Amino acid sequence: MLIHIEDVYKIYNEGKESEVRALNGVSLDIDQGEFVSIIGQSGSGKSTLMNILGCLDIPTYGDYRLDGTEITECTDRQLAHIRNRRIGFIFQGYNLIPVLDARENVELPLIYQGMGAELRRARTEEALARVGMLERQHHRPGEMSGGQQQRVAIARAIATHPSILMADEPTGALDSKTGLHVLELLHSLHRDGATVILITHDNSIAATADRIIRLADGEVVANGRREEVFA
Amino acid sequence: MKIGQAVKMAFKSLTTKKARSFLTMLGIVIGLAAVIALVTYAQGQNLAIKALYDSQGDNVLGVSAYSWGAGGSNSAAQQLYDYCLGLDDVVGVTPNGYVYDDLTISYGAKTLSRGGPGMGMAGMDAGAGGSNEDHYPSIRLGNDKFGLCSDYKLARGREFNYLEVQNMSQVCVLGADTAEFLFSFADPIDKTININGLPFRVVGVYQSKAAGVKVGTSEDAQGVIDSLKYMDKLLLLPSSMTRYFNNNEPIQEYLVKVRSASAVNEVITELNGFLAGAIPEDSGFYSVDSPSRYSQDLDKADALQQRFLGIIAAISLVVAGIGIMNIMLVTVTERTREIGIRKAIGAERRSIIVQFLIEAVMICGIGGLLGIAVGYVATAILTKASFGVVIMPGMGITVGAFFLSVALGVIFGLYPAIKASTLQPVEALRAE
Repeated sequence: MLIHIEDVYKIYNEGKESEVRALNGVSLDIDQGEFVSIIGQSGSGKSTLMNILGCLDIPTYGDYRLDGTEITECTDRQLAHIRNRRIGFIFQGYNLIPVLDARENVELPLIYQGMGAELRRARTEEALARVGMLERQHHRPGEMSGGQQQRVAIARAIATHPSILMADEPTGALDSKTGLHVLELLHSLHRDGATVILITHDNSIAATADRIIRLADGEVVANGRREEVFA
Repeated sequence: MKIGQAVKMAFKSLTTKKARSFLTMLGIVIGLAAVIALVTYAQGQNLAIKALYDSQGDNVLGVSAYSWGAGGSNSAAQQLYDYCLGLDDVVGVTPNGYVYDDLTISYGAKTLSRGGPGMGMAGMDAGAGGSNEDHYPSIRLGNDKFGLCSDYKLARGREFNYLEVQNMSQVCVLGADTAEFLFSFADPIDKTININGLPFRVVGVYQSKAAGVKVGTSEDAQGVIDSLKYMDKLLLLPSSMTRYFNNNEPIQEYLVKVRSASAVNEVITELNGFLAGAIPEDSGFYSVDSPSRYSQDLDKADALQQRFLGIIAAISLVVAGIGIMNIMLVTVTERTREIGIRKAIGAERRSIIVQFLIEAVMICGIGGLLGIAVGYVATAILTKASFGVVIMPGMGITVGAFFLSVALGVIFGLYPAIKASTLQPVEALRAE
């Protein structure tokens, strides 16, 4: 099992009147090579779940095992290490660094790994070529369209050869045609062996996944193949 | 993350906001430039004043011995002279007398006298003819060790010899200005000048004291030059001649040249001891002065001044540093999202700290280099205007200033960098 979370709670302002249970006892497993969609209305807790799955945040209670590592026991530094090597993030707002060009943005996680220049160059070009952005490698984010920026962001996510690609509303800021291209790119990466977790509020996009997990009020209300969830 | 990468990234961030980076640097630039220019200026001024003290020679003591008891001054002075000669650490003693009488000194058509209406000789060039009073020398009485004890060096000829001093020979040594006035470009050696109608043979000419010293044109420095020029107006006669002048008053002052600086204090003690015995209370008084002590005092005042400047410098640089800290905090706030992204893709706290620290150090380092450059220019202009010569800042202050600015970057960049590194990735990513 690649991801195993059990009885995970994320509670803000616990014990106070303003207590918010963003996640309220979530358990789920995701296997190597799966393409999983997590859907839910805004406020359902799907972003919180994504932050926890992506090791950006830790649960208030519960267990999270990623590829055999007990995440809840990790130090800050170990978490940074895991985010760097095992997880590739794709955000709704692309989250490229504006002062760096496409190539430098893709290089960044490899630099944080301390990878040597030769290998880094090869990996960067490989990733940029994979998303079809190699010829625009010297463009800065401001000089690219949204779809192009998202493709660079995907290149950055895959450059480190992570175990999991985590996409948070990756098509949310794109027009439907460009969004479809990005979605197709994720599927193509999945066919090449990547594990993809796609977070979205859009049922039609979620429906392209093998498995769909629906959240509501911080709890898993449905978990299964698309026929079962959308039945 | 490797430092080279971090430096490249920091450089990129700084060049994206050029105006802000420059304005942030400006505090450091102005602070350092002012420190460099002021310290060097002060050093130049102190050098000028020190040149005056040093012109009197190293390790020279001025000894006065007045006595009106039995035996009179003459005997006390003579005893002092003999006593000094017996001291191992004393390399020379000369009587140090001044002739107060108004004399008329002439050679050929040129005359030096005091109070006269010029020499009135037709055909003289106005500069030399009209200003002979300006050139009237200090007429001093000394012996064969006078040059050694007063730090005059011979340009031509020789000092008196012992017999000339003993025998009241009619010989003299001239200071540079006096020789030039009387002889222009001719060689004065073995020429005979007239002093109140008596012939004196010139045996030596001293080098100019003023010529070697370049301290420039500021008021203070000019005062130093004037003093040194004054010392070039000299007519030295054998000390035994004293009986012809000053109403036959004996010479009561001596210059004592000590072998080394380390022996000065010991010789002062010995002389004081001797004089206390030779001149009983109520029968006279004595003193032993050390011009090199003034020089030491000056060194102390110097050190004090430097410390004072250092404190002002420190304050101005702390102000600049706070400016840098402020800007770095703003930068961290502005770039919260970037920090979030970096953390999300795997930057450790350490990498974030290093990144922002390097930016701060880079601002300060570049500011430091600019400050040094501006400081050099300012120093050159300031010293040229004040002293007439360009005095450049020393290597020590230059290197020190640079490392100081780098240290400022580290000190004032640390807090913002740490603040950046402790941001939580989830919250940082949410920032706009």
